[in-house]
Amino acid sequence: MSLMRAERRRFLKRRMIIWTLVIFVGLLATIGTIVFFTTEKVTPEVRAAAQAQADRMYNQQMQEFQRMRARCEQSPSDEICQQGRFEEPQREWFPAESFMPATFNFRNDSEDFVVTWAILLAMFAFIIGASFVGAEWRSGAMMNLLTWRPKRMQVLGTKLMALLGSLTVFSVLSFGLWTAAMVGIASTHGTMERMTNGAWQSYGLTGLRGLGMILAFAALGFGLASIGRHIGLALGMALGVIILGQFGLMAVLFMARVPYPEIYLIPSHLQAWMEKRVVIQDPFAVVSPMDEVPTRILSFGDSGSIGLGVVAVVLAVAFYTMRRRDIAN
Amino acid sequence: MTSVLEINGLRKTYRARGGPRRALDGFDMQVEAGQVHGFLGPNGSGKTTTLRTLLGLIRADGGRMRVLGEELPKALPKVVGQVGAIVESPQFFGSFTARDTLSLLCDAGNVPQARVDWALELVGLNERAKDRVKTYSLGMKQRLAVASALLKQPRLLILDEPANGLDPGGIREMREMMQRLSEGGMTVVLSSHILSEIQIICDNVTIISLGRRVAAGPVSEVLAAHSTGQVKVGLESVADLPTAAQLLLNAGISVQQQQDHLMVSGVDKPAAISRLLAERGLFVSELTPVGADLESVFLELTGTMPVPGQHRSVDDSVKVAQA
Repeated sequence: MSLMRAERRRFLKRRMIIWTLVIFVGLLATIGTIVFFTTEKVTPEVRAAAQAQADRMYNQQMQEFQRMRARCEQSPSDEICQQGRFEEPQREWFPAESFMPATFNFRNDSEDFVVTWAILLAMFAFIIGASFVGAEWRSGAMMNLLTWRPKRMQVLGTKLMALLGSLTVFSVLSFGLWTAAMVGIASTHGTMERMTNGAWQSYGLTGLRGLGMILAFAALGFGLASIGRHIGLALGMALGVIILGQFGLMAVLFMARVPYPEIYLIPSHLQAWMEKRVVIQDPFAVVSPMDEVPTRILSFGDSGSIGLGVVAVVLAVAFYTMRRRDIAN
Repeated sequence: MTSVLEINGLRKTYRARGGPRRALDGFDMQVEAGQVHGFLGPNGSGKTTTLRTLLGLIRADGGRMRVLGEELPKALPKVVGQVGAIVESPQFFGSFTARDTLSLLCDAGNVPQARVDWALELVGLNERAKDRVKTYSLGMKQRLAVASALLKQPRLLILDEPANGLDPGGIREMREMMQRLSEGGMTVVLSSHILSEIQIICDNVTIISLGRRVAAGPVSEVLAAHSTGQVKVGLESVADLPTAAQLLLNAGISVQQQQDHLMVSGVDKPAAISRLLAERGLFVSELTPVGADLESVFLELTGTMPVPGQHRSVDDSVKVAQA
């Protein structure tokens, strides 16, 4: 327990970790502020103003139409009259809804904001995970610690647990605050309509999957930096996967006309994980415009299993190298 | 006396690009309780590999190690609480303060937090304890490293180049501290290149060259074993030097004439030289036995004496035959 206490303290004392979390909170606050100022609650006054604007627009268009009709009666040879490009505006073309301000609907919009929270925090968690162990290796603090606690597996395992535990606490707290902020915005500048128990349950499960993704990314960063004994390896791998593994792979898959190419790309799996399922199309199976595009469903179970496998392999290699390799510098 | 540290036939080979390199080739070492033991060797001789292997940072390929009577590396977790160590340059997380650094180590090692102030006081860092380590000079980091090793109040203290970066006052403080610790019953293994310091501080030494022990024992015995037995002889008149040299040669004594003195060797009692010359009316003005110092013994044993006009590679050391 003393080692765990030391590692938790070390986590909270690391400036890079604190700053990363502060930047994350700042980003969420910025998004929340933008949403707050760009949405408006639907009140009778707002609806009346929108109706008035719709009526005004309809009247303007009607006046324009009547002006054009008079002109065409006088000069039927005008090109525009010949082409008959104008027709009488109908009242239903100008519904009041088109003139309503944006309204934050918690039921419809909140899951997008949970995905935003999860993806942002997962990115930061990757960096935090890599830094937590990578900087220790680079500075020599890990070697120093091992002269106090020579059981390497225990040291690395405790560090990983401290990382995941601390991030779980932070994730739950930030998710709670984010939800509270969204509820606050919806209550004052939007609507909480149709938020049934089932809707809340679905919202909570999305958050839970988000937490899983955040912890997986943290473990991935931790494992890669531990294998390379440097934060640079983890960040380099991440860049390599994004640039080569995604853009490069996408180009190759499309050139080779591989069926369902998007199934091999990470964003599809992240989307499937967070949204429970994603429909993947096979654009190369379409021969004529009349053909129906064949599809496959990528479920969150499929993507979750793949993600878990990758994390398990990386961590297994990290622990194996920790056990076997000399600590020579 | 009981052995605090015993190493027998320790072997370690590194896989390197240019082929395998033997860092330790059957190395032996023994340190008795209460000693301040100097551990000497040229660069690349295997000192740091030995210390890292003892501390479980490197896996040995063969040989035996015992610390405080326990077999390593198996019993390392059991004895590590009684072994304080710094290996090579001090390595700490730069953004943490000295106090945080030591406090975290206390937590990690189940050591009372009260020892943080004690250790900082001991190495003279109390007033800078709240500064970040990255603002420290090399000497201050070295002091912090020693403080971290002392936190455990160990029975065996292993210090690799503890005087590195210290100013002369700091070196003296370090020497006095080690003497105090030793008097308090702590066994100290000290690796250093400042041989004059080793000669002053240490009771015993082990000298390593290319992964093998080339000398070991009390400092005085190691020096005596490699003493030349020469005597420097000066005369009242330098003009008499050739005559005196001839006289000594005739008496079967080996002599070398220098510019203003003679170097005589193979004489048990220097007084015999004085008597022999005085009988022929030549009176000595100086009669000094030439003793060996640790530096010259080290250079001789390890074959690292600089030769004018030649550049020595780090691996150009003496390799002793396997016993």
